[in-house]
Amino acid sequence: MIVAALPWISPGLLSPGLLLAAAVTAAAASLWLLLPRGAENRLARWLGLALGAVALAGLVATGRRLGGLGEDAVFLVVSLVAVISGAATVVSRSPVYAAIWFALALAGVAGVLLVLGAQFLGVATIVVYAGAILVMFLFVLMLAQPSGMAPYDRVSNEPLLSAVAGAVLLGLLSLFVGRLSAETPACCRVPSRGAALTTTSGQAAAPLPAADAAATTADPLAENHVARLGGELFGRHLLAVEAAGVLLLVALIGSIAIVSRHGDPSGELTAAGRSR
Amino acid sequence: MNLLPSPETIAALVKIGLLVGGLMTAAAYLVLVERWMAAWVQDRKGPNRVGIPLTKVRLFGLGQPLADGLKIILKEDFTPRHVDKVLYTAAPLVILAASLAIFAAIPFGSVLPPLGIPGLPDPVPFLVAPGLDVGVLWVFALSSIAVYGVLLGGWASNNKYGFLGGLRSSAQLVAYEIPLGLGLLGVVLAAGSLKLDAIMNAQADSGVWYAFAQPLGFVVFLVASFAEAARLPFDLPEAEQELVGGYHTEYSGIKLLLFLVAEFLHMVTAAFLIVIMFLGGWHLWGVTGSAQDITWVQCLIRFGVLSAKILGVILFFMLVRWSWPRFRFDQLMNLAWKVMLPLGLANLVTVAAVEEFRPQLTAALGATGAQVAAVAIPWAVFFLGWIAAGMLTPSGTDNTPIRTSGPLDIEHELVEV
Repeated sequence: MIVAALPWISPGLLSPGLLLAAAVTAAAASLWLLLPRGAENRLARWLGLALGAVALAGLVATGRRLGGLGEDAVFLVVSLVAVISGAATVVSRSPVYAAIWFALALAGVAGVLLVLGAQFLGVATIVVYAGAILVMFLFVLMLAQPSGMAPYDRVSNEPLLSAVAGAVLLGLLSLFVGRLSAETPACCRVPSRGAALTTTSGQAAAPLPAADAAATTADPLAENHVARLGGELFGRHLLAVEAAGVLLLVALIGSIAIVSRHGDPSGELTAAGRSR
Repeated sequence: MNLLPSPETIAALVKIGLLVGGLMTAAAYLVLVERWMAAWVQDRKGPNRVGIPLTKVRLFGLGQPLADGLKIILKEDFTPRHVDKVLYTAAPLVILAASLAIFAAIPFGSVLPPLGIPGLPDPVPFLVAPGLDVGVLWVFALSSIAVYGVLLGGWASNNKYGFLGGLRSSAQLVAYEIPLGLGLLGVVLAAGSLKLDAIMNAQADSGVWYAFAQPLGFVVFLVASFAEAARLPFDLPEAEQELVGGYHTEYSGIKLLLFLVAEFLHMVTAAFLIVIMFLGGWHLWGVTGSAQDITWVQCLIRFGVLSAKILGVILFFMLVRWSWPRFRFDQLMNLAWKVMLPLGLANLVTVAAVEEFRPQLTAALGATGAQVAAVAIPWAVFFLGWIAAGMLTPSGTDNTPIRTSGPLDIEHELVEV
């Protein structure tokens, strides 16, 4: 595998920080080249794609150096899907395609969460984002463009600034997460693959050592995952849950208020129905 | 590195093979059953000619699925020039993949008797991913992914009938997901688990199927799953008389086949869910028992009971298809938002109240009395809800045009700006 062989090509020559900086720069340049500007430039696109591949390889290599990336092929695949479709979301020329790429990015993120053992979060990402919000997006996009795309759909504002800002954010996050994963104390370390899917490993069912038992009871990713999560949410975080619920209710009432103001004030719709 | 797959992986692969093979065969033969059912309802004979190829043996037409399949696969896979080629190709794949992946979390039997294979935890459940703790949510998530296939198929076809079908369908599927979820929630609340096998076991242990304990939830879920499977009377996405064929108007050959198979799988999924969540799954009083340690005979009986129930629900789906006219779109939406949503909420509140006060009920009435009350209260709510829905909700059958100053005005404002 090319990706696996990469970090061993030049051992010792590049420090992780330098490698990360190079990868992030390549990613920024690639995004800048790929972001839509109205006029088509074939050369810029190919160059952007090549740079993007370089950036991805660099990021994977950095991940291995920082020790955050395991041998897990499934994890590598889903995370690459997430990253590539995330980039494709911002650079695609058609809003519908952008929405589809975004859906794929969400699927990748959900896959990462499933691999890590956070089943509820993974599935909820699909239900809430891909299943509900994005379908609404697509619905509106398809309805709103009977006569082709508007100019603001095809051109990105400030491609340079957004590419640089994104790259800086990516670099900082990678450094931070890398440092965290290097320093995680033993008590808080969770097995990178939970008993999520039996197809991944037979070792998931192996009995835990007694020393880890305390960590397991505190770990919401262990057995009876959803029950533990629920207990945590409605125990320690009850106030936050209630606040979010009230917020959603307010938004719901607000949307109904807006809709009914746009409708006929005499309420003919309901009157027609009620008259029977 | 150990290259040999673990016994669990092999078990999962075997289960996947059995499930996919079984589902595909079932889908093919269910088409035949559906045509027989149509013929029976319409008092004609239906397909009864095709038997064993190259002989004159007819076998009641059991060779028909093979002939149908060969015909549709060998047809020209025509792609019109005006379509968006990538999404046009991706749409049927998305919808079929999503509807097959749903079955990772759906049990298709009880458990096998202990096999004693090292490395394989006993007993082996009839479930591809037994470690998945969020089975119900998984089903819900992937059925919401199936909307993409319909929506993209309609849009990529670049055809007004296909597009209208896709839009109608996505609106319908999104709207009915809410009553579907409310119906699910009542069961999840009562069983205390998101695992479908645990829900079946809970019904087998108590002996009270949730269709009896939560009649309102059952009706809401049944209607919503008809709508989610886009079966008559909810088949607006592909209303033949209005939209030619809806979102798959432009499709032909193998791509059309993928769409049709996915549609049938949606119906099969709905039947599985109805049986597992409301009709007791593999449980039948006095026949299957409720213990987890079972013999091979009991294992087969349970499998048979589950399959028979599922077939029964599918036959019900088909009978309804040939008995009811299609809804109009505003009636469909009225039903979802003004009838099914409040009824689903009423069911949820009732179930929550009963579950919350079950200890007090038991203390006041004794175990048997509490059980009777826990069934009687939801039935009272069911009839009250039924009467209220009949009296209060708009039936929406008058045909005067509805005038609202809606989206069109907003568009004008935008243009002027």
